[in-house]
Amino acid sequence: MNFELTADAIAFQDAAHRVSAEVLKANAKRYDETGDFCRESLDALGELGFWGMNLPDAYGGFDPGSIAMSLAVEEVAYHCAATCSSLTAHFLATDSVLLGGTEQQKQELLPLCASGEKLGAFALTEPGAGSNPAEMRTKAVRREGGWHLTGTKHYITNGAYADFLVVYAKTDETQGHKGISAFLVDRHTLGIQFSSPEKTLGLRGSHIYEISFDCQLSEAALLGEEGQGFATAMAVLDRGRVEVAAMSVGIARAAYDDSLAWARERVVAGKPLCRHQGIQWMLAEMHTQLEAAKLVTYQAAAARDSGGRFSLESAVAKLFASEAAAKITDSAVQVHGGYGYICDLPIERYYRDARITRIFEGTSEIQKIIIGRAITA
Amino acid sequence: MKILVAVKRVIDYNVKIRVKPDHSDVDLTNVKMAMNPFCEIAVEEAVRLKDKGVATEIVAVTVGPKAAQEQLRTALALGADRAIHVETDARVESLGAAKALAKVVEAEQPGLVILGKQAIDTDNNQTGQMLAALTGLPQGTFASEVAVEGDKLQVTREIDGGLQTLELTLPAIVTTDLRLNEPRYAKLPDIMKAKKKPMDVKSPSDLGVEVASKVKLLKVEPPAERQGGIKVGSVDELVDKLKNEAKVL
Repeated sequence: MNFELTADAIAFQDAAHRVSAEVLKANAKRYDETGDFCRESLDALGELGFWGMNLPDAYGGFDPGSIAMSLAVEEVAYHCAATCSSLTAHFLATDSVLLGGTEQQKQELLPLCASGEKLGAFALTEPGAGSNPAEMRTKAVRREGGWHLTGTKHYITNGAYADFLVVYAKTDETQGHKGISAFLVDRHTLGIQFSSPEKTLGLRGSHIYEISFDCQLSEAALLGEEGQGFATAMAVLDRGRVEVAAMSVGIARAAYDDSLAWARERVVAGKPLCRHQGIQWMLAEMHTQLEAAKLVTYQAAAARDSGGRFSLESAVAKLFASEAAAKITDSAVQVHGGYGYICDLPIERYYRDARITRIFEGTSEIQKIIIGRAITA
Repeated sequence: MKILVAVKRVIDYNVKIRVKPDHSDVDLTNVKMAMNPFCEIAVEEAVRLKDKGVATEIVAVTVGPKAAQEQLRTALALGADRAIHVETDARVESLGAAKALAKVVEAEQPGLVILGKQAIDTDNNQTGQMLAALTGLPQGTFASEVAVEGDKLQVTREIDGGLQTLELTLPAIVTTDLRLNEPRYAKLPDIMKAKKKPMDVKSPSDLGVEVASKVKLLKVEPPAERQGGIKVGSVDELVDKLKNEAKVL
């Protein structure tokens, strides 16, 4: 593994760092406090081309490679994890089209997604089907000239703000995962109902919705081929987990940087906190966890670009980086003491925002199943 | 008209500067580097002049280590057409940079040279003025507004007493103040396109100049820690302290 970052990767990191520090940072606290959707920050990223980071040239993107993309995602999460979550949810939707769509679907939709004109949402999870998507109950039945889609999805990031949703549904209820197909659903289709956004522990600027469907879709709404939905979703999640790992690293790095700066400044018993061994060891542990999380993330990103299967690497990265982010953000609160607990500083927000990374796009337990099966196969 | 824009690689303005433990220099280990903010304003102004049809070509130039190509690439992503890198690992100060830039001006014959008024690392505020002296070109420093009319350049300068407007004959040298413009962000697709734009790498000896500083850096100290303030009970006490302790009255 080559540890030298390419010029592209450095340039992407710089560009993301800049907009994150100057635009996203200014909005992050407000989004968290008011629960407003991260519209301004997300649109600022769209104007600068960030919505197309996952797409190749042929579809309006400019695929800089997964390491450059991971670094950019990390920078976005550093100042606003909520915006990062909405951005990566958009990638799940566009990755679904990229991996599962027909050539015509890709040509028609993806350039608009890359340029920041169309926002996507990825609708897989249901109240009774999270870690077990094969048990989903949303279904699409053939009806003259198209499909009749019925069912309920929940925890759908971007939901009511998305221009289109990629909805996974059973097209053959006699089959398990092989009976799942994916559909492109325009947000304004008659028969879609959005709940009000869920109230959440963290990522409050990135809304998640319950969505119910009872709608008629055209023949062209079927994404790619019938029965391929599950394979597409799993491949999309392999890619998405690298982004969750990068997001975890971003939140963790923010918590670590703030803790180190705080420990240098805050004086207790006549010397800075960082000169007390108890605190120094906490910082050492945070630093080590962070560096290790970065490496597994970059390794998974490199594997993602290698063209082969990378389910194992992405599961390792997602598991390790999200668990590390939980430990690091928890330690950050501890290093800050009472100041970490009050809402004036962003420390408690990092702690809340990091929590979901161990749950979404496959819980830590699901990652262990993936890793366990891969290494014992 | 061709515009030459000089850019410098400095520590990112968000980074808290730390001095090396042995006080030999500022610590640059694992420190985020970026384009000097005044240079960003210079690039932005050049791009705006090109957007207005005043400029036809923008050439970005830097004097510095190999890694400074990152900043040239940013300039290319922001709208420069090509770049010149005068590569050196030596510690370069204002005069060395100005000498190298003078040679580039001689070779490129730009109609306008735009530089930041100063770099946020050592804040010398000299390179533009020295370049003007070395090239014999008229200069408008601390510009808050720039307008080109034919072969004339109107430069509004921010000076101590207010604003001063100069008319210079092109070719000329302008250094930018903070309020000249608000620089745009680089778009990711433009960053990818930037790598296809030409970058010419030269050494100081190719240009026939010596850029290494003749000044020896002896010691770097961080600024003294600021002491906490006090509250005074009365105006009399305040005046007394200003007179006898602070000795400012």
